[in-house]
Amino acid sequence: MAEGKKAKLGGACDVVIIGAGNGGLAAALALAVRGAKPLVLEQHNAPGGFATSFVRGRFEFEAALHELSSIGPENNKGGVRRFLEDEGGVDIDWVPIPEAYRVILTDSGMDARLPFGEAPFIDAIEEKVPGSREPLTRYFALCREVSGALGLLAKTASNPSPKRIIKDLKKFVAESADPFDDARRNTSNVVTFLRTLPKTVDEVTLKMGIPPKAVDLLYPYWCYLGIPMSRMNFTIWAAMLIDYIDYGAWIPRLRSQEMSYAIEARVRELGGRVEYNTRVDRVLVERGRVKGVVTASGETIKTSAVIANTSPTQLYGSLVSPASESPAAALRNVNSRKLGGAGFVVYLGLDVSPVELGVNDYGYFISKTMDTDAVYGSMEKLDLVDMQATICLNNAIPDCSPPGTTIISMTTLYKPGVWDSVKPKEYAALKNRIADAMITQFDDALGTDIRSRVEEIEVATPATFARYARSFNGGIYGYELDPWDSIIPRILSEKDESYIKGLEVAGGFATMGHGFSSSLISGRSAGLKTLAGLGG
Amino acid sequence: MSELIKFDGLKDMAALLELLPERKKRMKQASAEPQTGDAMAALARALHPDIQRLVIADVRQEAAGARVFRLVPDKESGTAAPAVFRAGQYLSLKIDISGVRVARPYSISSSPADAADGGFYEITIRKKDGGFLSEHAWKEWRVGTRIEASGPAGFFCVEPLRDARHIVGLAGGSGITPFRSMLKDIVETGADVKFTLLYGVNRPDEIMFKNDLESFAAQAPDRISVHFVCCEPDAAWCGPTGFLTADSIRKLAGDPAGKSFFICGPQAMYSFLETELKQFDLPKRRIRREVFGETADVSAHPDYPADAAGKSFSMTVHCGSETTVIPAKASESALVALERAGIAPPSECRSGECGFCASILMNGKVFVIPETDRRRLAAKKFDVFHPCSSYPVSDIEVKVPLDKG
Ligand SMILES: Cc1cc2nc3c(=O)[nH]c(=O)nc-3n(C[C@H](O)[C@H](O)[C@H](O)COP(=O)(O)OP(=O)(O)OC[C@H]3O[C@@H](n4cnc5c(N)ncnc54)[C@H](O)[C@@H]3O)c2cc1C
Ligand code: FES
Repeated sequence: MAEGKKAKLGGACDVVIIGAGNGGLAAALALAVRGAKPLVLEQHNAPGGFATSFVRGRFEFEAALHELSSIGPENNKGGVRRFLEDEGGVDIDWVPIPEAYRVILTDSGMDARLPFGEAPFIDAIEEKVPGSREPLTRYFALCREVSGALGLLAKTASNPSPKRIIKDLKKFVAESADPFDDARRNTSNVVTFLRTLPKTVDEVTLKMGIPPKAVDLLYPYWCYLGIPMSRMNFTIWAAMLIDYIDYGAWIPRLRSQEMSYAIEARVRELGGRVEYNTRVDRVLVERGRVKGVVTASGETIKTSAVIANTSPTQLYGSLVSPASESPAAALRNVNSRKLGGAGFVVYLGLDVSPVELGVNDYGYFISKTMDTDAVYGSMEKLDLVDMQATICLNNAIPDCSPPGTTIISMTTLYKPGVWDSVKPKEYAALKNRIADAMITQFDDALGTDIRSRVEEIEVATPATFARYARSFNGGIYGYELDPWDSIIPRILSEKDESYIKGLEVAGGFATMGHGFSSSLISGRSAGLKTLAGLGG
Repeated sequence: MSELIKFDGLKDMAALLELLPERKKRMKQASAEPQTGDAMAALARALHPDIQRLVIADVRQEAAGARVFRLVPDKESGTAAPAVFRAGQYLSLKIDISGVRVARPYSISSSPADAADGGFYEITIRKKDGGFLSEHAWKEWRVGTRIEASGPAGFFCVEPLRDARHIVGLAGGSGITPFRSMLKDIVETGADVKFTLLYGVNRPDEIMFKNDLESFAAQAPDRISVHFVCCEPDAAWCGPTGFLTADSIRKLAGDPAGKSFFICGPQAMYSFLETELKQFDLPKRRIRREVFGETADVSAHPDYPADAAGKSFSMTVHCGSETTVIPAKASESALVALERAGIAPPSECRSGECGFCASILMNGKVFVIPETDRRRLAAKKFDVFHPCSSYPVSDIEVKVPLDKG
């Protein structure tokens, strides 16, 4: 095409958001509802990043979402739902997930179906492992105290003195009618909170007298955080567990793509702009301040504020321009952090109904064992991983595929780097070999025969996620939540670790960690911080 | 409540405080070298390059009306090697024809090993009267012509985790191209499948790749068999004649039960074979076909709103920060109207499948051919449409994406 005809994005704007993933869209929404006019630049041809879907034959597959926390029903909305609906005016058709999960441990033969709600959840465990009720009841009370206090810390001025933390917590209890302020409901818990803050999940849980087999039934959600319980921070775990058990889990009816299109449409309606096929190659920085961005087609857009829905590793490693404006401290920061897991998903469209198959639950955690260190260890080899988290979409949305068919997707994780040596030539055979083993893993655990009913199959690997969402090295789990890099130390260090004026990070690599809900929340807060910086 | 579990308060607080110095220490000790790339991005780029800059290395005639173009990397322009592909995939070629940029999909007729070891792709173009790109290619393309292509794309591939071990390929006309790649691949990799190819042509001189296909069958006689079926045979013809029908398929390929059928050919053949294959009562998973390509005569579709036929509309196009008003004929896809006006949004499959051309319909109405409507549910809810498979039936206002790069 003639150069002169090339459409342009138009010189300058207040805020540029790089990436229309969960974090970028949430940031755009938070800004747009407050009157700012963000420009969102997305390299792919649809919004959502991981919050997307794709069509093969007569099936539409959910690409990533298993379930969202912090949604809750109409009469008891969680923080994310309040943000999207009440604050953002985004209308999404939310569907509840029928049960917490079915867990099948193939080594021990344990097989249990756990419902949402504290009492039914504990009942179900007591039924499988008598003697669990009393310690589990105490455990939930503890988790509840801790979870209640966590929301507060997210807003403290970051100053690592315990005195200051307590002062800030008290202050936030007194103030603020923020939608995330669940903690206001339960404020007697600051001391417990502080006491368990540095502990790992194992350190707290294993001291409470819960029978080991009951711990096995309690632990499956660990794989959503992706770090073994011997290293996972207890506070984060407690908050996640309580959120799921209290609010249940939810998905948008038309896949997570409904959520991303809905937010995108709302942002446009409010005067924001979203452009696709537009990769940002450089973030221009001058003397520590953001000055603009440059797109892959060479167009410069002047701006004083950028929200990057990318990893800081990419941001400081290759986007900040000139490279000399990437502070050594920022580079040391990102290089010190470990990447979380990289994703591997097998999507199956089957020409038989779930009932005929004998697949009657929505979410399955199928694992050799609940020894989380051992399972985590198995993610280090380019081979079948010991655990798969599998969903059957029809058991939440019966008409998600034509009558007499079923959609199943099986997810597992690899440690970053495991796929690094894979050559393009061996790629297709490799992903098929692993998908094949995962199908067997599922069929063996459930006694089903999905293998012979495959009408459509697609396999996503770390390279697939790197391609569609540009996630760093195919990671889907942000930075690993090691004790020193879990959410609390991140929050407490936020100010110290802000390196460039006008630059914020949103999404799975930001302070709140990975996951749909966390990314939406971190996007919102990046939007608010940016707005404050604009003097809005 | 805090008595529920006993902790040593002071010790715990100290542990918390240790996390922050530990964090600082780790960051201080880490390298300050920027990580400028990552292995998965590199692998994704190698498998799915945005653009492959190729140059024609050889042109040869293949039967009446078809030419094979051998494409090798245009090393001067930065493409080092052809991207790996799976037999059955296509390339979208992007061509400037007198100032108009168009794209067309062409199946790769060479094998994956040809790309990996020989460093080339071959595409085979059948000349179409009045065809925009095909006529241009026949007139202008020669050794040395530079061609821009997408990465390999498409899903018309044999998949061991899904398909039967015995595959029956039904080819018509230029639809033979992906099958040539598949058969050559089976010979070269020793893949453990059986493949029976039935290739329907009008006249004997239209058969493409006759020698190649026969030689593949001769090299792997236990796995590959090839049958040519001719509609208008000449005196010398001694093979089967007529259309590919349920009867002839059964006769040449045996009992259809437990086999997978792959179909690629002109649109008329798809609808004809759909009816024929019904007689076999196969599960849907056993029948796969390549996408349609652009629809020849949309007004012939039974659901098409008759009053729109033959009309011309105006299309208000927002692209980036620019707005233009262009004409749009009812008989041509919205994508062709955009291309004619010099606005070239991205496209690959031109069949409604890949989503590359996804745009927003802000006002007005388009007719979307139901059979090629592969939009996501949420896309439909939020007025996203695929211009390649949508036809204006009123004045429309659209927002189209910028082309990459
Ligand atoms: C997955 C797939 C694989 C395929 N593989 C092969 C293959 O291996 N071999 C093969 O031969 N074909 C193949 N095809 C078909 C191929 O893509 C083309 O459709 C075919 O070559 C005809 O293209 P054309 O441009 O020659 O004609 P058309 O696209 O049919 O031309 C249509 C008409 O529109 C007009 N027109 C179109 N665009 C413009 C414009 N921008 N400006 C002005 N006028 C315009 C032309 O003048 C003409 O009258 C494949 C198709 C698909 C979908
Ligand atoms: S080009 Fe593939 S959907 Fe339009």
